[in-house]
Amino acid sequence: MDNKEFYIGWMPAAPGGLAKHIRKVVVILIMLVITAGIILALQQKKFSTATFEFGQLTEITGIYQQFPVPSIKAMSNLDASGHSSSLTIPLVGYGKSGAEGIIAELEKEKNTTLDKKTVTFRGTLLYSDGKTLLQIDKNDDPLTKISDAVVNVPPAIKELGTVRLTGEILDPKCYFGVMKPGQGKPHRDCAIRCIAGGMSPVFYVRNEKGEANYYLILDAAGKKMNEQLKDIIAEPVSLRARAVQYDDWIVLYIDGMNKITRTGGLSWFKTKDGDTYCGVSHTINVSE
Amino acid sequence: MSASYVAVGWNRQKKIYDWLIAGFCFTYLLLFISVTLIVNEQVTFETLLIRSTSTLAVLLLHVILAIGPLCRLDKKFLPLLYNRRHLGVTMFTFALAHGGFSIFQFHALGNTNPFVSLFISNTNFNSFAAFPFQALGFFALLIFFLMAITSHDFWLHNLSPRVWKTLHMFVYLAYLLVVMHVMLGVIQYENNPVFVIIILAGAVTLITLHLLAGSKERKLDKRKFSLEQEGFMYVCPAEEIEDSRAKIFCIDKERIAVYRHENKLYAIHNVCKHQGGPLGEGKILDGCITCPWHGYQYLPHNGQSPPPFKEKVSTYDVKIIDGKVWLNPVPFPEGTERPGATIK
Repeated sequence: MDNKEFYIGWMPAAPGGLAKHIRKVVVILIMLVITAGIILALQQKKFSTATFEFGQLTEITGIYQQFPVPSIKAMSNLDASGHSSSLTIPLVGYGKSGAEGIIAELEKEKNTTLDKKTVTFRGTLLYSDGKTLLQIDKNDDPLTKISDAVVNVPPAIKELGTVRLTGEILDPKCYFGVMKPGQGKPHRDCAIRCIAGGMSPVFYVRNEKGEANYYLILDAAGKKMNEQLKDIIAEPVSLRARAVQYDDWIVLYIDGMNKITRTGGLSWFKTKDGDTYCGVSHTINVSE
Repeated sequence: MSASYVAVGWNRQKKIYDWLIAGFCFTYLLLFISVTLIVNEQVTFETLLIRSTSTLAVLLLHVILAIGPLCRLDKKFLPLLYNRRHLGVTMFTFALAHGGFSIFQFHALGNTNPFVSLFISNTNFNSFAAFPFQALGFFALLIFFLMAITSHDFWLHNLSPRVWKTLHMFVYLAYLLVVMHVMLGVIQYENNPVFVIIILAGAVTLITLHLLAGSKERKLDKRKFSLEQEGFMYVCPAEEIEDSRAKIFCIDKERIAVYRHENKLYAIHNVCKHQGGPLGEGKILDGCITCPWHGYQYLPHNGQSPPPFKEKVSTYDVKIIDGKVWLNPVPFPEGTERPGATIK
């Protein structure tokens, strides 16, 4: 640059030497932009295959059950040996709300209770990792059929004893389909809002093989404990609970918040989730 | 420099600058979005929007913060400074897209107002690891918002340069908030240390540039002037000051620019009334001292901007004895005419 050159922005053009230098800077910035765009995009953690069938309504028929969480128990057709299997599909509401509100509205509207009745719900499916949920929204006219009689098909219940697990409390709607990522620190506020809105919290545990297990959470009396969980949602925690299997879901009965402890810390340099996010001490100890 | 306010005083250079900003942003978004879709096809539209805009805003913020010290270190970077506010408003626009959509995504459609939810959902203020990082981002966005809406010279004049400059210095607090927003947020979720490395590399680069620029100025400020004669300090030989240029001297913590113009020396306060630019690093053009930052102009003999402009800076007495320049550091009121000193 010639020392006599002087740049003024309101002049029509920059002096030659300065313009030449700025052209070099522009080339460097282009390289920076390209490098940053590619590196940042490539290094993101892989997103899950969870699916939210946004805009697509599906009708599901099954037995509505209020416990352990509002859900539909959908039965498969009989196989060759005359047996059928069931799939429990927890219900969630629109936005960041649980299904209780809309179920109560529907019961009031139909002037009947839905528990243990055969119903057909129309809603939006979300699913991942073998778990399926159904979003029901008042605007979709969700209850299309309801039987008059109560159906007595009790769940297959199995006591699994006391368990110690390390994992993360998350909201199932986001995790199983609506958001990616639907877990961890970036999603914490949303998970807190969803669980505060009545969504049934789910405990996510990853075992040594990297397989995920999911549990429903209730207090020792079988009541929801959404409010108490607020401060430990979406971070690594260890808990001790009585585990009971209801069909294809396991419920953790947690006897007070002192049974849950934080295990995590700053996790800037982990290489895989198992390192800090979901520890592996999850073996079910039936005898404990 | 303009006597009246227009939204943007477009000229050829400004258009080139803005086209380049648009080109950079478009290239970045195109690359980030397309590479993510190719290698991570399960991504949702919402996440793509949140991440592409946030990473672009952080990248732009680093460039913006690097421009100042780069210009202090080397005048060749000055063309990047003139329209830096365009870069700032662009950065704010992307940060707003990120913040606005994140608030909707993570807080809307719940059982409380999204803005209330932002502050009452995660309340782990006593834990560093679990700290509510979204609130940090919100306050950074608020600072960027205030800076963006006051970026026009209309606000600079109405708020006064001192208030305006103070407000805009909050960009450093905003930067700190952004770094913590990222470090306590998404980086705790991601497995790859490259994100930590990138953020730390960015911070180290900016800190180094600012320290280097600061040290350069400190060196200038620390120079001692011991020879004193009737209130005048000896500063340098007269031939050291090039024609139409100046030398800057810091006496009693005030920087004074001594300009050479038409075989005479004139001394004025070094700080431009516009944005505090170093007048002594400028040049005399059309008989006016011209600030290197944004081209504001002052007459050398009285420190006044030529009519119809109204800016004024302090003037000082200067004299030459036996080819040596003597400067009186006591300022005259802004805009006071001084005779200057003739170089024989």
